[in-house]
Amino acid sequence: MTVSISSYLMVALILFCVGLYGALTKRNAVVVLLSIELMLNAVNINLVAFSKFGLYPSVTGQIFTLFTMTVAAAEVAVGLAILIALYRNKETVNVDEMDQMKR
Amino acid sequence: MTGEFVAFFILSLLTIGGAVFMISFTRVVHMVISLGVTFISIAGLFVLLGAEFVGVAQILVYSGAISILMLFGIMLTKHDANDEGTGRTWKNRFILLFVIVLFGLLFWGVQNTPWPAPPPPADAPVDNAKEIGIEVFTKFVIPFELLSVLLLVALVGAIIMAKKEGDNE
Amino acid sequence: MDTLMHYAWLIPLFPLLAFIVIVSFGRQLKEGAAIVGITLTAVSFGIAVLIFWERFQGGGTDYNFVIDWLHIGDIVINMGFEVNPLNAMMLVIVTLVSLLVQIYSKGYMHGDERFPVFYQYLALFTFSMLGLVISPNLLQVYIFWELVGVCSFLLVGYYYFKKEAKAAAKKAFIVTRIGDLGLFIGICLLFWWTGSFEYGAIFESIALGRLEPWMITLAAILIFVGAMGKSGQFPLHTWLPDAMEGPTPVSALIHAATMVAAGVYLVAATYPLFIASDTALTVVAYVGGFTAIFAASIGLTQRDIKRVLAYSTVSQLGYMMLALGVAGAAGYVAGSFHLMTHAFFKALLFLGAGSVIHAVHTQNVFEMGGLWKKMPITALTFLIGCLAIAGIFPFAGFWSKEAILGAVYGAHRYDLLFIALLAAFFTAFYMFRLFFLTFAGKARGKHEAHESPRVMTGPLLVLALLAVVAGFVNTPYAPLLSDWLLSTNTGTAITSLFGEGSEHAAAWLQIVALLISILGVVLAYLMYGKKSISSDTIPETMPWLYQLSYKKYYIDELYHNVIVRPLGWLGFVLDVFDKYIVDGLVGLTAKITQGIGSLHARVQSGQIQSYGAMVIFGLLLLIIAISLTAKGGGLFG
Repeated sequence: MTVSISSYLMVALILFCVGLYGALTKRNAVVVLLSIELMLNAVNINLVAFSKFGLYPSVTGQIFTLFTMTVAAAEVAVGLAILIALYRNKETVNVDEMDQMKR
Repeated sequence: MTGEFVAFFILSLLTIGGAVFMISFTRVVHMVISLGVTFISIAGLFVLLGAEFVGVAQILVYSGAISILMLFGIMLTKHDANDEGTGRTWKNRFILLFVIVLFGLLFWGVQNTPWPAPPPPADAPVDNAKEIGIEVFTKFVIPFELLSVLLLVALVGAIIMAKKEGDNE
Repeated sequence: MDTLMHYAWLIPLFPLLAFIVIVSFGRQLKEGAAIVGITLTAVSFGIAVLIFWERFQGGGTDYNFVIDWLHIGDIVINMGFEVNPLNAMMLVIVTLVSLLVQIYSKGYMHGDERFPVFYQYLALFTFSMLGLVISPNLLQVYIFWELVGVCSFLLVGYYYFKKEAKAAAKKAFIVTRIGDLGLFIGICLLFWWTGSFEYGAIFESIALGRLEPWMITLAAILIFVGAMGKSGQFPLHTWLPDAMEGPTPVSALIHAATMVAAGVYLVAATYPLFIASDTALTVVAYVGGFTAIFAASIGLTQRDIKRVLAYSTVSQLGYMMLALGVAGAAGYVAGSFHLMTHAFFKALLFLGAGSVIHAVHTQNVFEMGGLWKKMPITALTFLIGCLAIAGIFPFAGFWSKEAILGAVYGAHRYDLLFIALLAAFFTAFYMFRLFFLTFAGKARGKHEAHESPRVMTGPLLVLALLAVVAGFVNTPYAPLLSDWLLSTNTGTAITSLFGEGSEHAAAWLQIVALLISILGVVLAYLMYGKKSISSDTIPETMPWLYQLSYKKYYIDELYHNVIVRPLGWLGFVLDVFDKYIVDGLVGLTAKITQGIGSLHARVQSGQIQSYGAMVIFGLLLLIIAISLTAKGGGLFG
């Protein structure tokens, strides 16, 4: 039994869905950020799998993956900085309580 | 039952298991740790796919830097507070439903796509890092430079955001 | 040739002008409004007299002027006016009585806060009544008929802060409305069958025999129902006594002389319709006769001076209807003649009563007395009025009443003759009972009474004079009115059907009538003047009889329980229905919309995870939509 592309895509899909569920459901903001990272990782798996098994296999997929990783790292840094600033002001990290954009 | 298959099986199990446990743990620190396991397994998957450079980068960036960053974030905020679980509210059930439907759709999509036949195994071992290097510094040099600018901006921005207010410069 | 009759349309216009002026400037004018009303009505009166005189001289030509008003398909509806002997006489009566009442009111209503408003309503009423009288077709009559009803409502309810006045105004309007409904249906039927509202066209259709007998009877009876409402015939009489809640000048003008006469006028104006149907005439005669005796029997026991006069009005109107109903030229003439004399002496009696009320501040006769010396002019004119209404020679009432009796006798209706004579006896009795209780004997009242000002006694004197001489226009020896009235188209129609007839009874009937009236006067004198017979004999021996009369035969109570209360319940049910079901539905719609709105407002919760969920949802829909519509079946192909 070979490992075809669809298996990798499956794994990525599962990871993505789990991450999506976590991002939309968890109450702690840090956990939301974690779930977003999970989703980004799933995307990375997809990209690398396509770079090997896709229609036109090339290394571009991996390069894209590196870029994605970089951006994800930057995003985490900034996101956590925002979170810390928010925590300083509101004493809470629950996303439920951050609803100032109500109207 | 090739070795590739076994490796894939184990790695994917670890990945998915780590993700699921992340979701289901109650204490945030445990979540971060299981996520770390996931990250490392994903690096293994990358290596299995012949992208060793990417795999190493994954370990460096994700399970090294990002996991520690998360831990810092947790420590600086309410680190001892439990995430009281997601609760079985209406909203959460709906979201579960949506996610399952999305999964189903994409599963269908993946299964029904006629994928091309996998390429024959590589005859000459290709140096992955060399390949990536050539591509980046010729075709993708501008995005590469821009990416460094982005990182600089993110660094500065994060410091400004996280600074205490009212501080003197 | 432009005769004065061509300008008859000016007559209603002056009171209308008075109305407009007083409405616009009433607040500044205050009591000056009276001057405006009086002068303009006087002008109308002048023109009316001139036109009357011209018509009287002019021989047998009526004047009719119409203009096209509405075109509905092939049908043309006109508007205009007509001058014939009957309404020339009515014009003079209405303007004269209105003028005298307005002069009188200047004194009676002096000091009232809403003085200009009173004159406004009087002017509007005068306009409406005059318009009614000169209308050449039934539709116009109906328009003014309704307008007159509205003015009556406004004037009866003039003291609107009093509960009884409000109720009385409502009652007047509603009860006459029942009559108006009959009138309206009658007019519609006539229009449907003859294609026109004009008197001339309708009478022509009848003369040519285009209508079946039952149709004529039905239309005539329906028109009579309208007349019953306005003229207070049984059973639609209940509003008239209650309408005494209005100021006394109003009672004099409207409920004695003019509006209530509108019903009689209508029957007389549409007389060719009635004489074509014996059944209708019989109905009119019997209703009139019954009303005459019925009202007279109630008037025997009433204590309020105005109520006695009100029942007397109902009774006299019954007399007029009786006269018209017995048919013949004699009946027509007698009814119209009595209309004229009644207008004068009833207005006189009401204004006199007003003068008394103004002086003693009470309306209960048992609190009056001994006013003969203190109010000589009022007392004398009132006496003349009583003599006139009782039918004593040679006052006006004698001539008109014996004309009616003669007509009834001449038509061989002996049962109705008996009723009429009995009613005459009652009339004489209760009028003089009223007179003796009010003016004779010792003063029972507490107030110091004095004579009314000249502005009030002036009209009394004028009316008293008329009550004396008005009868002479139609004595058996010089039937001027009769000849004149019958010289018109209507008249010729009547005489052609019934012949000239012996309008005036044999002398013996005149003497019998006179004796009966004198008997009534004497009995009243004995009971209330000299008090030799106790006035309590009947109340004590036959209390139930007394009670029946005093309580007006419980008709009001009957109507209240049988008609008013069930309607009240129906109204309550409908109100509940309206409030809860109809309003509830409307409110429900509003609430549903609001609910949907607030449901959707919850979307804007500020929760980013909800927004994310919605994004996913949208994405799913998009994926499904695209995959279903993609070429080649897409996802599920």
